[in-house]
Amino acid sequence: MQQADRQLIRFALTICLSCSIILSAVAAGLRDRQERESELDRKRNVLLAFGQEIRDPDTGRRLSGEVVESIFTSNIREIFFDVDTGEKVPADQVSQQALQDRRQRPLFFWEEDGRPVRFAFPTSGPGLWAPIYGFLALESDLNTIAGITFYRHGETPGLGGEIEREWFQSQFVGQRMMADGEPVQFQVIQGGVSGRYPDGNPHAVDGISGATMTGRAVAEFISEDFKTYNSFFERIREAGPESLMVSMNI
Amino acid sequence: MATATHKIVTDPLSDNNPITIQVLGICSALAVTVQVETALVMSIALTVVVSCSNLLISLMRNHIPSRIRMIVEVSVIASLVIVVDQVLRAFFFELSRQLSIFVGLIITNCIVMGRAEAFAIQNPPGKSFMDGLGNGLGYSAILLLVASAREILGSGSWYGIDLFGENFVSLGVAVLPPGAFLILGVIIWIQRTVTRNFKDD
Repeated sequence: MQQADRQLIRFALTICLSCSIILSAVAAGLRDRQERESELDRKRNVLLAFGQEIRDPDTGRRLSGEVVESIFTSNIREIFFDVDTGEKVPADQVSQQALQDRRQRPLFFWEEDGRPVRFAFPTSGPGLWAPIYGFLALESDLNTIAGITFYRHGETPGLGGEIEREWFQSQFVGQRMMADGEPVQFQVIQGGVSGRYPDGNPHAVDGISGATMTGRAVAEFISEDFKTYNSFFERIREAGPESLMVSMNI
Repeated sequence: MATATHKIVTDPLSDNNPITIQVLGICSALAVTVQVETALVMSIALTVVVSCSNLLISLMRNHIPSRIRMIVEVSVIASLVIVVDQVLRAFFFELSRQLSIFVGLIITNCIVMGRAEAFAIQNPPGKSFMDGLGNGLGYSAILLLVASAREILGSGSWYGIDLFGENFVSLGVAVLPPGAFLILGVIIWIQRTVTRNFKDD
């Protein structure tokens, strides 16, 4: 009996050890590639928010990593601003720590003929099950929505998970974040916008059946993030979007 | 002997199909069959896992203490599934996101555990591998059938290729979960009408 027990424990330990060694090796070996893929996916989603086609129109396949990178470097600029002061942060004063603490925030803009034509910022917040991450793109008036994407979330597939579908995201295009010069609370309405506002509402989209909480969360965090960014947007509106180019040094 | 091995692989394809006859693993059969592409990746993932887990468990079958038999099986299966999941994440990022939790849920897929318990634990490695392969392929066949029906009816396309052009009126229910139940039900019905001699409890 003693012998059998010892054998049993030895076998269990061997299994545990070999499984953990194999898994650690696999995870460590693939980490670089996974991070690269994840970064590429983030960039694809910035492009998507800007309304850029990320599939080849002929083949229907997704654009390759190199193409995404090249569109990204040739058209998209990333700048940072300080949340407390609403001032632009020079590139050499951007710190990872401040970005993590959200004291500094990134803003992307799409450059065409030497001037910014669209803007996009990362937006995120707590979903029903896990944080939702996405990008919100705005037209040059910094009010009208040009596009929205959600690229990472843990919502239930088929219910809250529908936020990553085109039908949901395309509703946002053309809607507005402000009324009378002030940020307004955006709404995701269960049962449809037309039910509650027969004349339509430029600050609302239809909700997803069975995903009341997810819709509420999305409306909440995009409104909050917009409010945060608006302090910086005010300055851009005052000085004109071209002013951003002057200090870019590119 | 050759025919016996042959039977191990071909039996689960229809006469002893894990989904339509044993009604195992239908959770993922319902969940990832909206599009053929995701169903295909899921099929490959499951076939790899069930074949390898059968092989590994069979190799260890004479050393596994019977009291911790199932825990050992689950450890082996879980490790394999995590490896598959990590590989998908590194090489098929978008697909891995669409499959989300369902790859991870292969761990609890009854087919994998069922084959380990019913076959691999008492048969030699070669045969066990073949049994895993057969069951994986049997699962895949049904998954792809359901996915084809759902994608064609619901989206008018197959493997992302548009079939009917602009004027196609899609059958909305096919892409919803109830659509999967209906289609799977019909397939099980046909299978069981064709295969008359299955054992029903």
